[in-house]
Amino acid sequence: MRILHHCAALVLLLAGSANAAEFKGGLLTPAKMAPDFSLTTQEGKPFRLSSERGKVVALWFGYTFCPDVCPTTLAELAQVRSQLGGEGNRFRIVFVTVDPERDTQARLREYVSAFSGSFTALTGAPERLAETRKAYGVVADKRVIAGTSAAYLIDHSAFVYVIDPAGQLRLMFPFGMPIEDMTHDIKLLLGR
Amino acid sequence: MRQILSVAAIATTAVALLLGPCLAQAQSQSIQISNAWARSARMAHGGMGSGSMEKGSMDKGSMHKGDMGKMEGANGAVYVTLTNTGAQADALLSASSDAAQTVELHETKNDAGVMKMRPVAKIDVPAGGKIEMKPGGYHVMLLGLKRDLKKGDKVAVTLKFERGGEVSAEATVR
Repeated sequence: MRILHHCAALVLLLAGSANAAEFKGGLLTPAKMAPDFSLTTQEGKPFRLSSERGKVVALWFGYTFCPDVCPTTLAELAQVRSQLGGEGNRFRIVFVTVDPERDTQARLREYVSAFSGSFTALTGAPERLAETRKAYGVVADKRVIAGTSAAYLIDHSAFVYVIDPAGQLRLMFPFGMPIEDMTHDIKLLLGR
Repeated sequence: MRQILSVAAIATTAVALLLGPCLAQAQSQSIQISNAWARSARMAHGGMGSGSMEKGSMDKGSMHKGDMGKMEGANGAVYVTLTNTGAQADALLSASSDAAQTVELHETKNDAGVMKMRPVAKIDVPAGGKIEMKPGGYHVMLLGLKRDLKKGDKVAVTLKFERGGEVSAEATVR
C-alpha cells in the first residue's frame, strides 16, 4: 500500500503537477497573486515585483542592523541558490528593509556584499515600504530598549515569502527551516 | 555564604601565587567553550559620505539631519557553545572584543513568527549543562564593527563568567 502511495506521488512529480503535500514550507491555498510593489534597489535602480515573472522570488523583510536572524536567513537563501546549480539564476533573493531610516543604499550595498551570490536589497519611501509590509502581513515594530547601546531594535516577522514564476504567492518558509527543504520547494516551483 | 566565598577567593589567590600562569586555566576549567563562530559582516565604510545618499534614494524626512552625526556602525554576531563541566552553576555576564565598539549579550525569541531581539543581563550555564548559542537564540552581539568580518577571519572574544572569570575564545568567521 505504501509503495503504491509512493508510486502515485512519483507519477504526480513526473507529470509536473506538484502535489500540495509535497511542499515542505507552509503552503498558501488557494494561491493568489503576490501583492505587487515598486521600490528601489541598492544600486538605485527601480524594482517592480511583477517584472520578475519566470523566476522564483524569495522575499525577506529585515534590517541591516539585525546581526542574527536576517544574515542567517540571507546566508541560507544563498546556499539554496548554490544548491540549485544552473537553475539558480531563476531564483531571486530580495531583501526589503524595514528600517529605511538607517538602511541607506550604501548601507544596503555593504550589507549584502558580505554574502556570496547576488542579492537585491530594496528601500524606498517609508510609506511605500509600510504599504508593502501590510500587503504581506509583515510586522515591523521599532523598539527603544534599555540595556543596549543600539539606538533602537526592530521586532519583525521572520518568514520568507516565496513567489512562483507565475507571480503567485505560494509558500512561506518559517525561520530555521532546513536548507535542503527550502531547496526542495524552490525546485518544485521552478519545475512547473 | 559570603564568608565561604571569600575563603574560596583567598584559596584561589593562594593557588594563583603558587601556580602563576596556570591560573587562567584553573579558573576556566569548569567552563568549556567550543564551536565559536561569527557571521560574516561588513563594517559601515561610507558613513555619511557623499556615496551614501544617492539621488532619490530616500524621501525627504526619512533621515533627519540631527541623526547624521551619530550614525551607528554595522553589527555582527558571535556564537559559542558553553559547557559547564563543573558541579556548580555559572553564568556568562559579559563579553568583549576588539572587533567592535560595544559587545553585548543578546537573545532572539520567536514570538509567533515575529523575531524579538533583546539584550540579556546574563546567560545561565547550569552545572553539567550546555548552552548552545545559535541564530534565533542567544548570541554575543558586536555593535559597531571596527573591521569587516570575512569568511575565514578570526575574531577574538573574551567572555566573563560569574564564577569562572575571564575566558578567551577565538571565533572563526563563516
